[in-house]
Amino acid sequence: MFGWTGTILRVNLTKGKVSREATDVKLAHDYIGARGLGVRIISDEVDPKADALGPDNKLIFAPGPLTGTFAPSAGRFDVITKGPLNGVIAASNSGGSFGPELKYAGYDALIIEGKAAKPSYLWIKDDEVEIRDAAAIWGHTTPDTTDLVRAATDEDAKVACIGPAGEKLALLANIMNEMFRAAGRTGVGAVMGSKNLKAVAVYGNGAVRVADPEAFKAAVMKSRQMIQAHPVGGAGLKAYGTDVLVNILNQIGSLPTRNYQDGYFPTADKVGGESLAAKQLIRPKGCFSCIISCGRVTKVDNPAYQGAGEGPEYETAWSFGPDCGIDDLDAVTKANFLCNEYGIDTISLGSTIACAMELFERGVITAKDTDGVQLTFGNTAAMVEMTRKACTGEGFGAKLAQGSYRLAESYGHPEYSMTCKKQEMPAYDPRGVQGIGLNYATGNRGGCHVRGYTIAVEVLGGAGGMDPRVTEGKPGLDILFQNLTAALDSSGACLFSTFGIGGPELAEMLSAATGVEYSLEEFLKIGERIWNAERLWNLKVGFTAADDTLPERLLKDPIKTGPAKGMVNRLDEMLPGYYQERGWDESGVPTKAKLKELALV
Amino acid sequence: MDVQYFATFRDLAGERARRIDEPPATVGELLQALAGRYGAAFRRAVFDGERLSPIAIILVNGRNVHFTGGLDTPLAPDDQVSIFPMVAGG
Amino acid sequence: MAKILMIHPDKCTGCRNCELACEFVHEGQFRPAATRVQAYSWEREGISVPMLCQQCDDAACVKVCPTGAMHRSTTLANLVDWDERVCIRCKMCTVACPFGNARYDAASSSIFKCDTCQGAPECVTFCPNGALEYVDDTQQVRSRKKAYAAKFKDAFQEVS
Repeated sequence: MFGWTGTILRVNLTKGKVSREATDVKLAHDYIGARGLGVRIISDEVDPKADALGPDNKLIFAPGPLTGTFAPSAGRFDVITKGPLNGVIAASNSGGSFGPELKYAGYDALIIEGKAAKPSYLWIKDDEVEIRDAAAIWGHTTPDTTDLVRAATDEDAKVACIGPAGEKLALLANIMNEMFRAAGRTGVGAVMGSKNLKAVAVYGNGAVRVADPEAFKAAVMKSRQMIQAHPVGGAGLKAYGTDVLVNILNQIGSLPTRNYQDGYFPTADKVGGESLAAKQLIRPKGCFSCIISCGRVTKVDNPAYQGAGEGPEYETAWSFGPDCGIDDLDAVTKANFLCNEYGIDTISLGSTIACAMELFERGVITAKDTDGVQLTFGNTAAMVEMTRKACTGEGFGAKLAQGSYRLAESYGHPEYSMTCKKQEMPAYDPRGVQGIGLNYATGNRGGCHVRGYTIAVEVLGGAGGMDPRVTEGKPGLDILFQNLTAALDSSGACLFSTFGIGGPELAEMLSAATGVEYSLEEFLKIGERIWNAERLWNLKVGFTAADDTLPERLLKDPIKTGPAKGMVNRLDEMLPGYYQERGWDESGVPTKAKLKELALV
Repeated sequence: MDVQYFATFRDLAGERARRIDEPPATVGELLQALAGRYGAAFRRAVFDGERLSPIAIILVNGRNVHFTGGLDTPLAPDDQVSIFPMVAGG
Repeated sequence: MAKILMIHPDKCTGCRNCELACEFVHEGQFRPAATRVQAYSWEREGISVPMLCQQCDDAACVKVCPTGAMHRSTTLANLVDWDERVCIRCKMCTVACPFGNARYDAASSSIFKCDTCQGAPECVTFCPNGALEYVDDTQQVRSRKKAYAAKFKDAFQEVS
């Protein structure tokens, strides 16, 4: 095979058994790889009612066919599993170099089953696979784990691991690779912890081949030029990182503030990308094969929050910053560093702390609940303290590490959890940007921006954009982005390559790499297929149209201050059209005709 | 009227913001005046020939002027103008 | 007009596009063992450094080669070239190079060492950050020297 390696590695931790199987050619053609392939395997092999933290769940690491080639910024992989945060098929995407290394070791996917009897780690060197004792590394932070594992395997091995949060099965736990890249959302780290699996180390000496080298190179050179010519892909992201969005969202009045109680934060600039570049940035960083370099190598000198590492990204700066009423960049970056070290999702944790702050200010919880901490909006020290506690799972932090939905519900006020399908929404207030609200509400994994990033058109669209304040045309926009992104994720490409290229260029590179003719229509159809497969799983788990919604606050309580003052999200104007255009019935269930069209029956 | 600059526009303008006591009637006239003050690099970043650059984001009171009439968007004395280059996502 | 492949580690982001380009131009596929240039990254420090043959004027690999397989190119300036026809794969060059820039690849029975793609280095084309530069040897350090001089320019402008 070309692009794909043709081999899938399966490790059963219960039996201590390692096996290999051929990558199903039809599956590869119809689902591409990474997210799509993982969704198909989980759908076929895991019972939707299975306990996500039980031995019957499976944990898949899967790169795409472009991963490991020089397709620009296409070195990504997904972690796919039943997500313990909300029961959906979690497909958490990450960069770094782990995905390419899996390809060079010879694998299109690593499927981990069962549960090890004691803490273990996997060492994969080409076709040699060992399940090893992890007693010496259990309990360590992700950077220390990476160093220790490399010392015991190969100094150039690529390591994906959990931190203490994943070991404690925190529902917000993530999986880190190369120390600072994250498969962040939906609790994939807890699944890994539940299998007693601390780390996966991989080293590969094999090759990734492409079907038509000349055509592939030509397609790649064209895509590179398009990305480099784009203001965002070619310059903006490298200069400022994603954090530059703070000021843009604030200036349109859609920067969620104090747990979404407002949409404008007067001192937002202090935590924006311009401030980051001036105060903390050492240099930009790029993942494997990346030409965009959005990564930030940073440090904080302030002794109160001293540290070094990478980040924060926009969503992180928002969640620990304005969402908590905080404008201290040093503190925000410190919270980011802690989350990376302990392996916990920054978006969800920041939003959960914000939720706790609101519960505190409303008197629903008191200092007795919060270990004596005055957990109010704007209390910087409290935010960092609570982050640390959530990371280590101590005191009130153990509750925070389970996410805002369970937190708010346990105190009788689920309405203060800013979640969709129990997963925290990120940093775009849908009252000021209508289309992203539809994406949050209909998102298969819950509150999420990346799977349908309509912001690119509604806020950053320039002359070719769409007005964020209108609902007209948004169903079609969301569907297009959701389908395209599902196919893009599955090929191994980075979402940010869409600042420059689109479906046609991705399909072209994919075709030349694999030798399979993917037209643009076929590429988008595959995305649609993956989206519908995820939806079918959700229906089996028990989600209904009632879950395709936003918190009441965003539908009923207008933004209080700023340019979008007075606005709410008008989901009811968009949802029916969305179901219809997707070929679903009024209950949001894919029709038989649609499933047949997508070969999902 | 307050004009605020973000990202690379802070370097192009050499400042973060400017107060304008007697603003011109339209966005187009404002940008011409600012380009005259800050120079050729600034001009190139906001204009594409005679038209508004497709990669500049000009907000008036939080509204992208592409949806309110582009360069003809009218200005009032207490409007807030924000100027961004198209920079990021994520 | 002699050119030199100059590295700028300060600009390297560790993306390894150089490695991919090198592998591809030589083998038409992506095999990590086949790259002649390698960008090493240290995560905690956030620093990456590309390493490749420095085409030494007084090369240890040339001195030690028993057959003349390692030799100074007569067609291209600033290039130590490898003649595979007379190479006996004794690997003495790999032992002699103090930088570790010559390597023996068993899979292809070759000595891997940067050959500048015979004067058109692919890694330079593919590096998105200018960390690799193919530059006239008279201007080898110009960009770095001038960039630093510019700091003095800015400082003096402020006070004068």
